[in-house]
Amino acid sequence: MLQFILRRIAISALIMFLGSILLYVLMINSGDPLADLRESRAENREQLMQARIDNMGLDEPWWQRYLGWLTGVSRCFVLQCDLGTTRDGASVNALLLASAGASLRLVTVATFLAIFIGVTLGVLSAIRQYSGFDYAITFGAFLFFSLPVFWAAVLLKDFGAIRFNNWMADPAVSTTATAVVALVFALAVASLLGGSLRRQLVTGLVTFAVVFGVVFAFDQVTWWVQPALGLPLILIGALGALGFMLVMTVGLANRRILYAGLVTIGLGLVSYFVTGPLLEDPANWWVIFALAGATVLVGLAVGWVMGGYERRTAMVVSVGTALGMAFLVFMDRLLRGWAGFLDMAPGGRPIGTIGENRIIPERFTGDFWEGIFNWGVQLVLPTIVLTLISIAAYSRYTRGSMLETINQDYIRTARSKGLSDRVVFTKHALRNALIPITTIVAFDFASLLGGAVITETIFGWRGLGAMFRQGLEFVDPNPVMAYYLVAGGAAVLMNMLADIAYASLDPRIRR
Amino acid sequence: MAVVAAGALALAGCTSDSGSDDNDTAAEGGGSEDMSEESGDSEEGSEDSEDMGGEEGDTARADLGDVTPNDDSVSFSSGAEEYNAYNGDTAATNSTYNAVVNNQLQSGFWYWGTDGTIYPNEWFGSYEQTSDDPLTVEYTISDDAVWSDGTPITSNDFLLSWASTNPESMGGAEELGFDPVSTWSTYATEGLETEVGSKEFTVVYPEPYPDWEIAVSAALPAHVAAEQGGLEPDELAQAILDGDAETVSQVSEFWNTGWLFPNYQVEDEALVPSSGPYTLEGAAWESGNQLALVPNENFFGPAPATGNLVFKFAAPETHVQALQNGDINVIEPQATVDTRQQLEGMGDMVAVEDNQQMTWEHLDFNFAESSAFSDENGGLAAREAFAMCVPRQNIIDNLIAPIAEDAQVLNARERFPFMEDYQELVDAAYDGRYDEVDIEGASAKLEEAGLDNPEIRIGYSAPNQRRTEQVAQIKSSCDEAGFNIVDAGNPDFFEAGGTLESGDWEVALFAWAGSGQIASGEPIYSTGGSQNFGGFSNEEVDAAWDTLASSVDPEVHMEQLKVIEKALWDNLYGIPLFTHPGIVGYDSTLENVRPTSVQTGVSWNADQWVRAS
Repeated sequence: MLQFILRRIAISALIMFLGSILLYVLMINSGDPLADLRESRAENREQLMQARIDNMGLDEPWWQRYLGWLTGVSRCFVLQCDLGTTRDGASVNALLLASAGASLRLVTVATFLAIFIGVTLGVLSAIRQYSGFDYAITFGAFLFFSLPVFWAAVLLKDFGAIRFNNWMADPAVSTTATAVVALVFALAVASLLGGSLRRQLVTGLVTFAVVFGVVFAFDQVTWWVQPALGLPLILIGALGALGFMLVMTVGLANRRILYAGLVTIGLGLVSYFVTGPLLEDPANWWVIFALAGATVLVGLAVGWVMGGYERRTAMVVSVGTALGMAFLVFMDRLLRGWAGFLDMAPGGRPIGTIGENRIIPERFTGDFWEGIFNWGVQLVLPTIVLTLISIAAYSRYTRGSMLETINQDYIRTARSKGLSDRVVFTKHALRNALIPITTIVAFDFASLLGGAVITETIFGWRGLGAMFRQGLEFVDPNPVMAYYLVAGGAAVLMNMLADIAYASLDPRIRR
Repeated sequence: MAVVAAGALALAGCTSDSGSDDNDTAAEGGGSEDMSEESGDSEEGSEDSEDMGGEEGDTARADLGDVTPNDDSVSFSSGAEEYNAYNGDTAATNSTYNAVVNNQLQSGFWYWGTDGTIYPNEWFGSYEQTSDDPLTVEYTISDDAVWSDGTPITSNDFLLSWASTNPESMGGAEELGFDPVSTWSTYATEGLETEVGSKEFTVVYPEPYPDWEIAVSAALPAHVAAEQGGLEPDELAQAILDGDAETVSQVSEFWNTGWLFPNYQVEDEALVPSSGPYTLEGAAWESGNQLALVPNENFFGPAPATGNLVFKFAAPETHVQALQNGDINVIEPQATVDTRQQLEGMGDMVAVEDNQQMTWEHLDFNFAESSAFSDENGGLAAREAFAMCVPRQNIIDNLIAPIAEDAQVLNARERFPFMEDYQELVDAAYDGRYDEVDIEGASAKLEEAGLDNPEIRIGYSAPNQRRTEQVAQIKSSCDEAGFNIVDAGNPDFFEAGGTLESGDWEVALFAWAGSGQIASGEPIYSTGGSQNFGGFSNEEVDAAWDTLASSVDPEVHMEQLKVIEKALWDNLYGIPLFTHPGIVGYDSTLENVRPTSVQTGVSWNADQWVRAS
């Protein structure tokens, strides 16, 4: 395995190196870096041109300029990167740090969300092939896949920011709207769970009633301006997490594991009250990370103690349940910060159409939770745009891959020896179906970085895209090469991770 | 039922109450908007502000009386380019996006009114022309005028302004090494007559210089530059007075680069004191996104109305939605029919105003030998034929009136319809002979010129939808008169080596941006002028420009302009079409937002913007 990884790293490094030469040469020949000065009427035009020639080394041959850049970059190995300067003398290091932060924040969340939702939808629509749900997902996937980014972004700003803010000024959900929402949920759940027509009808009706009741109740208690989950919802959610973990592993066959999960939830309930004061206004993210770490440890311990002969599975289930519950506790706290943030938001309008922060960070006075909203709300809309577009691809690929797997001989064998649907799908089909998806994930992450250029512009983010575009316009190689290092590095790295994931998913490749 | 009941139980604890006092305040999500409006009201000291702001024909700043900055925040965006230099006077930093911010940080002796009139800033100081020959101007800086760090604003600052234009008497750019856009010292060759640290100085121009008034405005803090160059403030001033180039050159590097913000942060606030209503000291700057200026506590002029003036760095295509959402409160979008409709569709929340810019569109003839309009070929008759068939009124009605209701045909080149003396100039120079399209007259003239269906290439910088449509309208009218109009728009029309230079055009369609300078038209209309692309030549015009440029008397200027405009109409240099329309959209709760025709843009009086009650 180690040899495999080393070989991959060596090949990747070589590709990056050759790519950098190619890009550098293309870049410096893509235009005239002095174009704007040539048309200038400034009296000291010659002096300005000379200054830029010296600054960018325009009088040197290409290989010398490239070597200059490479020397600076190679110092990264001793942690003293020098990516050079822009044509105006600004440090590219600083520029890259500022813009890469923004871009990665944008792309990372979108990628994870897209993977999770896309794969889930794909698996579900494969299992319920040719159902209403499957058709709806297929329709949605094609719709979103073919959406032009800029158009979707502008629409989303209209609905997600402008109209949402107008609505937040006096949030009330009409009975009709409540009914429509409930109906959509009812149809989705009914066709997803499947079964006979009668069964689907019952599922649909029950779902309709529940969703209608929930939205109505939320509306009555003005949940929209002062949301929270509250302990009862957290408990229900935790039980849901336990259920999910059980379904994905052993089902109800091993009671010990079920009890381990229930004990974990019990401990979580205790810690909900113990950590309450600490979570009132945590000093920083490390507090949250430390608590998450503690949660994992508790989960592991419970699983280890109670697991019996299936100790490993018990540990996985307990940790999953514990993390699920911890996430809900976190969300509960976060939601409670919403009311405070609403009061602070300029003009009482929580979501902005542009910018990385709602309120200038230097001027922000709220607590930790309100602080998350300050940047979080601005992340929502661009993330939705990026996610929608990649979900479409993920769900299609997963569906295809899953269908292919389900029709394999060994799945028929598994069914014929009497295994339940749950075991067939989770243990035998899903894992094999995921192998091709890993490749797509890797490519998608890299291409999202590139695709985010438009999204960044429309949402007013100053990310890698802006840096790249400006470098191209000015025929200024250093910012463009810095973009290449990040985007190319991400592509190579993700591909490598994909290869390694392949190897661990499919032992045959490990050679 | 059980499910519903369980659900109700689960939801029982699901709302929070942290962060707001009670349900009611939280329920009114828009409540804080009302509150800020109220706070704006309580700070609003002057009763007459509304009248002054809205008065027709008043082109100066409104007098708001005694104003105290409130806690509110107002935002504006001039585009995605980020502010990056406190010194916007260098060739590298002279740009709109620096100017909009620096206008709030550096005040001077005068400002542009909304029609291009020059108004003095009486609180900054005064100036007076004391002699015509040689042209002498005496400046007095107010005793109250100080930088925000407490240092008085003195002649030292203006000495540096002068020296930074690389005066030849000190060896020019090679000795001094400044990188300026201003060329003040090529006119004021002798420098300033003053003492070190004085509140008064005198400028003498050996040659008459019509644009002397706008040559001296705001200055940069010389004491900061001196200290950064390793000098005492007075030492630098003395060195400039003495013509000691070596000492002065010590500050040029700082002047060129020290007032830049390459990392988009103010790293040392001591270097950027303010002489304007707002300051960078204590400002909040979120790199890449926004910059919030705060009021200058030591400001000696009328205090700004709003406590936070925020500049957002957002691409123009995002502005309209951002205005609707309140992310940007004042925008100056590209003036198109679509934008106007979009803004008007937003209802009462948004106010829309249009105006005329100093940028004006025109058709210029090519006088080169190959052109049908040159004197060797069609000559004046052909030009007259073309002028008769150009449907100017139609173009306005179809393309401009939907954006700006008061659009009208432009009949002059050096004055615009929104200026006081426009009508006087037009009455003297133009008798209305091309107001109506006259196809028959045009055909007759064309015959007289001896041209048969000449090919007329109208060149412009494409893509430009509005110009394409103008050419189409001209074609539909002039083809009837016997011309063969060809749309010759292309992307490199204006570029070095492009169509304009190679002369492959008969008519050029483009716009000049009026600068408000008095003699700036000379290179356009005089023989061999650097911007006289068509090669027009007329002795009467040349002589009139000479007289104009060598006088500082406004009456002489007007007299000569009448001669010039008349000659340009009679000989048909070209045909003026219209002034570009401008649109400003703003949050309708804001007061004192006023569009201006001048290049400074709508933020010219941003310090007066305030939310009304």
